[in-house]
Amino acid sequence: MPDRLQQVFREIFSDDTLVITDETTAADIPAWDSLAHINLMFTIENEFEVEIPDDRLGSFATVGELRGYLEERTAVS
Amino acid sequence: MAVPAATPPPARVPAQDAEPRSATPRGHLDRAREAERAGDDAGAVRWALAATDAGDDLAGWSAAAGIVARCLLRVTPLARRARVAVLGSYTTSQLSALLPVAAARAGVAVEVYECGYGQYRQEILDPSSGLYRFGPDVVVLAVHAGEAQLPAMSQDPDVDVAAEAARWTSLWDLLADRTGARVVQHLFAIPPDVALGHLAARTPGCRATMLAAVNAALGRAAGSRMALVDCDRLAAEVGKRRWFDARYWHQAKQAVSLGCVPLLARHTAAVLGAQLGASRKCLVLDLDNTLWGGVLGEEGLGGIALGDGPAGEAFTAFQDHILELKAKGVILAVCSKNNDADAREVFERHPAMRLRLDDIAMFSASWEDKPAQIRRIAATLGIGLDSLVFVDDNPAEREVVRQLAGEVDVIDLPPDPHGYVRALASYPFFETPALTTEDADRAAQYRARAQAAQLAATATSLADFHRSLAMVATVVPLDEVTLPRVAQLVAKTNQFNLTGRRRGQAELAALAADPAAAVLCVRLADQFADHGLVAVAIVSQDGDVLDIDTWLMSCRVIGRTLEDETAGLLVAEARRRGCRHLRGHHVSTAKNGLVADLYLRLGFTPVSDDGVPARQPDATTWLLDVNAAGSPPGLIQVLHADTQATRPGRELEGTIH
Repeated sequence: MPDRLQQVFREIFSDDTLVITDETTAADIPAWDSLAHINLMFTIENEFEVEIPDDRLGSFATVGELRGYLEERTAVS
Repeated sequence: MAVPAATPPPARVPAQDAEPRSATPRGHLDRAREAERAGDDAGAVRWALAATDAGDDLAGWSAAAGIVARCLLRVTPLARRARVAVLGSYTTSQLSALLPVAAARAGVAVEVYECGYGQYRQEILDPSSGLYRFGPDVVVLAVHAGEAQLPAMSQDPDVDVAAEAARWTSLWDLLADRTGARVVQHLFAIPPDVALGHLAARTPGCRATMLAAVNAALGRAAGSRMALVDCDRLAAEVGKRRWFDARYWHQAKQAVSLGCVPLLARHTAAVLGAQLGASRKCLVLDLDNTLWGGVLGEEGLGGIALGDGPAGEAFTAFQDHILELKAKGVILAVCSKNNDADAREVFERHPAMRLRLDDIAMFSASWEDKPAQIRRIAATLGIGLDSLVFVDDNPAEREVVRQLAGEVDVIDLPPDPHGYVRALASYPFFETPALTTEDADRAAQYRARAQAAQLAATATSLADFHRSLAMVATVVPLDEVTLPRVAQLVAKTNQFNLTGRRRGQAELAALAADPAAAVLCVRLADQFADHGLVAVAIVSQDGDVLDIDTWLMSCRVIGRTLEDETAGLLVAEARRRGCRHLRGHHVSTAKNGLVADLYLRLGFTPVSDDGVPARQPDATTWLLDVNAAGSPPGLIQVLHADTQATRPGRELEGTIH
């Protein structure tokens, strides 16, 4: 699971060396702007086969929160 | 039918050979990353572009776009570059971000300018906008159906449709007036959610029906000076439930689902590339298990699958599709490992063959390896390897062509022949900017060229050969009939092109109307074929110097001495104007090495101080004293079309020399 998420980040930012941790925030990745965020959310939805509700799309403060959400959702489904 | 003993054994490449390249976007991206890490920029670009061919997902394309952005500048520059402005009615940032990688795949290096969100109209209307400061070569109008100013139900649909179409064509006109840019218009993808249901089909005032009518009206209005991307067809192809994603529209104003933006970028780039002359010209066809089922050398003429039965019908359908490509101007060639006579016999005798020998401009069937055959096909037809597209059912043959003739595009056919048509139809780089009569006749002309090349091998001297062709060149005016063809030549000619300047139709028309300038257009015919309008020279008078702004010639007629006769016409034009000198320029591009010495050969002398800016280090300037100019070889009869009345005082009126 962590690998899949990291892979998505590496592809969206086209950075093969990017390492994300649970503490990573948008401020840590210069290219993580609102556009990249939408691309990330869209790709994560496809990769993990989830649909993130509108009120959560912009709510993840850290990668850890996002990962927690995905673990919760994919565990249930 | 057994292979005759006299022929070399058919050294067939095993189809199941090697691990087929992990033909997935991920596999290609891994290889691109490895290449990038190893400092192999060209390899990184090649694999990243292959990844975009293999898939349409946003993440894979984003990764590929990054690799190409980092590495492309360090590899051999692409022959074509363009400044592209994306003017959108929705969030076009993803499209703009992916356009460079899509365009690189189409053979064009682009620099992209993106207007502010939804600002397309303001940018076009405001003469001081960023659009005009950017100075685009191409403007992409990336707009969506929600932007159409049409009511849900119209009382007067004809008027509403005409008004909406006129709103767009007036923007085109404004762009044409204010920039020389070509325009690529995205037609409306029509949303599938129609309240009227099937009643919409008989209700002209329904918004969905009107959107289709506006698309059709724009198609009619566009003529040949515009390029259109048929987004409704693309959306239908992938499924409109995928194309339209209400969540991302409401969240982020993505009118095209992010999963479909790569597809849109690919097709936009293909259409844009075609405008700049980057489209592919020739389809090279394998025979066994590609045009028919089975191996001719084993099954014999009567044993191959074609016409009858489900498999036979699949191959017939594939041939029909290939004929449609030919009808729009794609040149066909055959490249097969077979005995030549046996292979030709199928074309001549098999009752279910749709393709005839006449349809094939260059027929190559031998036991030589395919990369070598393909190189000979390109050389005989006088086109570059990067104009060729190769189809073969055999993955090993595809791989060897990829490796040894890398400029050739290779289409992966699926194992099942029922999928062949889709595989070929999905290939986007046969786009052409306009259908001209020359397009329809091109295959005949290339075939004539191949026949003429064979005649050259038997003639005793080149001059004899040229005389035996009975060539006639005719100078014709630039007018509404010739303009589309001239513009096409200017856009597409790479090899015999002295300056590589790509003037559009509007510029050409303006030059033709300018008394200080002239656009010389030449047709060529010989005993084998009418080659059509094949040479263009644009000159402008600068005091007592006649400057050759543009000079190009179709690669179909290279090696016919037409360039010498054209030079003679330019000298005559200079004399007519009282000019003492003719001045030519050669600007090096990746492909025009052929003409690097042209001016030297024609007796021009190089000029050192020519005032050409330093940013064109590969440009040279040449001068010819028109009074000291020699006569052309006279192997072509030169005629002037009957239009001299509009050009009084021309000394060559009606003469044949």
